[in-house]
Amino acid sequence: MVRLAGGFLLLFLGLALFYPFGRILALGVGEGFSRALTNPYYWGRYLWSLEYGFLSALLTLLLALPLAFLFRRRFPFREGFLALATLPFVLPTPVVALGFLALLGPRGVLGVDLYGTKALLLLAALFYNLGLALRVLLPVALRLEGPMGAARVLGATPLRAFLRVGLPLLLPALASAGLLVFLYTFSAFGVPLLLGGPRYATLEVEVYTLLAQRLAFAEASGLMLLELLTLGLLAWLYLRVPAYPLGPSRLLPSRRPWALALGMGALFLLLYAPLFALLAEVRLEALAQAWGSQDFTPLPQALGNSLRFALLAFLLALPLGVAYGVAARGSPGLDLLGLLPLMVSPVAVGLGYLLAYPGLRGSLPLLLGAYALLAYPLLARALLPALRSLPPSLLEAARVLGATPLRAFLRVELPLLLPALASGSALALSALLGEFGASLVLWRPEWTTLTLAIYERLGRPGEGPYREALALSALLAFLSTALFYLLDRGRGGFR
Amino acid sequence: MLRLLVFAVALAFGFAQEITVLTHESFSLDKGLIARFERDTGLKLRFLKAGDAGEVLNRAILTKGAPIADVIYGVDNTFLSRALEADVLLPYRSPEVRNLKATLLLDPTFRALPVDYGWVSLNYDRAFFRERPLPKTPQDLARPEYARLLVVQNPATSSPGLAFLMATVARFGEDGYLDFWARLRDGGVRVAKGWSEAYYTHFSLYKGDRPLVVSYATSPAAEVYYSEGKYKEPPTGNLFPELAFFQVEFVGILKGTKNLEGARKVVDWFLSKPVQENLPTEMWMYPARRDARLPEVFRFAPEPLGSVRLDPKVMAQNRERWIEEWTKVVLQGQSPEAVRRARR
Repeated sequence: MVRLAGGFLLLFLGLALFYPFGRILALGVGEGFSRALTNPYYWGRYLWSLEYGFLSALLTLLLALPLAFLFRRRFPFREGFLALATLPFVLPTPVVALGFLALLGPRGVLGVDLYGTKALLLLAALFYNLGLALRVLLPVALRLEGPMGAARVLGATPLRAFLRVGLPLLLPALASAGLLVFLYTFSAFGVPLLLGGPRYATLEVEVYTLLAQRLAFAEASGLMLLELLTLGLLAWLYLRVPAYPLGPSRLLPSRRPWALALGMGALFLLLYAPLFALLAEVRLEALAQAWGSQDFTPLPQALGNSLRFALLAFLLALPLGVAYGVAARGSPGLDLLGLLPLMVSPVAVGLGYLLAYPGLRGSLPLLLGAYALLAYPLLARALLPALRSLPPSLLEAARVLGATPLRAFLRVELPLLLPALASGSALALSALLGEFGASLVLWRPEWTTLTLAIYERLGRPGEGPYREALALSALLAFLSTALFYLLDRGRGGFR
Repeated sequence: MLRLLVFAVALAFGFAQEITVLTHESFSLDKGLIARFERDTGLKLRFLKAGDAGEVLNRAILTKGAPIADVIYGVDNTFLSRALEADVLLPYRSPEVRNLKATLLLDPTFRALPVDYGWVSLNYDRAFFRERPLPKTPQDLARPEYARLLVVQNPATSSPGLAFLMATVARFGEDGYLDFWARLRDGGVRVAKGWSEAYYTHFSLYKGDRPLVVSYATSPAAEVYYSEGKYKEPPTGNLFPELAFFQVEFVGILKGTKNLEGARKVVDWFLSKPVQENLPTEMWMYPARRDARLPEVFRFAPEPLGSVRLDPKVMAQNRERWIEEWTKVVLQGQSPEAVRRARR
């Protein structure tokens, strides 16, 4: 079972990642390699990337942890809030930047100009990643009532039960979420540049400039290996966090559901204010304009592409994510390898594709492969903590009773994993809708998705394009919220 | 069996007749024009997009042995020399060449043929400057009262940003441009990642607080065109023709194409009158053909007189150094003297 899953994952990674990435690294063997690593400017970028990654992860976890505990309870609009939390994940960075600056920029509604400050960058990181962290924490948090309840029955105060039982059990999920947030912010490309200016460029931005603009493979390879080493080390540390088996997940009743809903509403209003500031500007006419646009990709075509590609790529990302989860449970080495798509520079992989598979350029399989490559780790990350916490006795019992390994997995483990799977699928699908993959490959104009259609409009000067871009962003936001809401509903029925 | 064979032959034939055009992300042409070309020639056009002009060319250079396309469109004069030196293009003297403006034929070997041209230019917000005086000379820009009104793009990540940097090199010379930028820096110029961010998040016509922005000479006309009748006159204007930077975009046939005949037809098509007359409102560039008529809205986009030009060779040789020196002065706060000393 594990070997089958591992083999499938390795085959895909070999084709979609190792070989193309290796082709680019091979170009970088040369003298510039050490030149990059002795340049103090790059070390400055590196230290800032580390700082940004760490602070963002810390801040996100500090807020996500109490929220995950609150979301264990049932209260009005619970699913709606959860759906909202992951929304920023799908929005193109220029649009998010517009929202933030509309609120906290030089001409911001609030009258405070935070442009170019670290505070604004960290706020944006929190805004982007809170939903991500919540998705990873929640499936485990929902399983804590058994052990924590037992501790309280044995006389522990609620605080003590949390500190001595709940927190240690959550540790793997916290590490998983923290690592994920770190991965995304450490190698963040757009957000720091858009909200802080070039002073806050991460090392990844330098890699991009070296590769795409200058074809300086030696220097780029040096920096990329430095990035890989750092992220690999962190991932290895994360693997050392012990996991404990847990019982089934359960939603708890709330004593004051409306108070909880109100409080949550206030918090979300505050956190997502940049988004609301932007949505307030959206006009319905702009949506109609975008629908039948003559100058740009019309809305129906872009929407159709977005949905089609997301769905097709998801069909590939789903088995990959599950295979990764299953394989990683049995082998820490595979756990590390499976995270690689989030650790290597997307530009390098994209250029690698051109060298490795020139015949496939501009073809659908390559596009879908690239999409799936970046989406499956998200699915698996949400799945793994739940997978690890399944008691092994369950599987053993099924095997003793005569089930084959595959049957035992499908009939015993998979049903127990459904909530985590739904959560991970929502994450992966939102990543696909927000499209990280298209940047990897050459794309065709007729493939223009919603995100690309937004960029297309923001590339021309004028109020028409600007309003259409805002309207399309709102539609994208609505789409992802609806998606999360629907997937969560499925989970709500499964307790 | 026979039907299968016919199908296979048709399929193979179909593949052979497909022409791939590698181009940048801002490429756009009327779909009807493309369909008509396909109908008339029996060729199937496939466009592949990637990043900006520099990135597109780099992809072509990287895959020189096994080219990923037949035709490349969008290499501009700042990258012309790199394209010619990398030897990725085939010469083709199209019959349409005689219809093109002679000043645009920058490549005497006819490997890169001009399709369109335009200017990167400073734009200002008319409403903001209604009661306040505009800067009078380019030097005035660097005075604190104007520098803090200006947003530019980072030349390392943006092609208009690079063009504006080159304009300052051409205007103030190798010795003076760094001083100019140091004064801009001290005066509080803002540096944005790319054109979209500068225009939509920092320019005062939209979400920003800066009434001066580096954009294109055609942007005021585009503002009118896209305003759905709201503007009769542009809300923005062009400033300092002597700081505008002249850009030409080229088309060329990639070495190693399997369908030279088809590739030539595509090049001819790019230079044909219908495409040339469609370019202005699709990509906001001026057509290279002498006899192409401009759309009405282009009366708001007069060509800037006396703009600066640099030799493509000089640009190719110095581009990296200029960007590096600019980064040291503007982003890392070094003094122009220190940077100039490091040159030797």
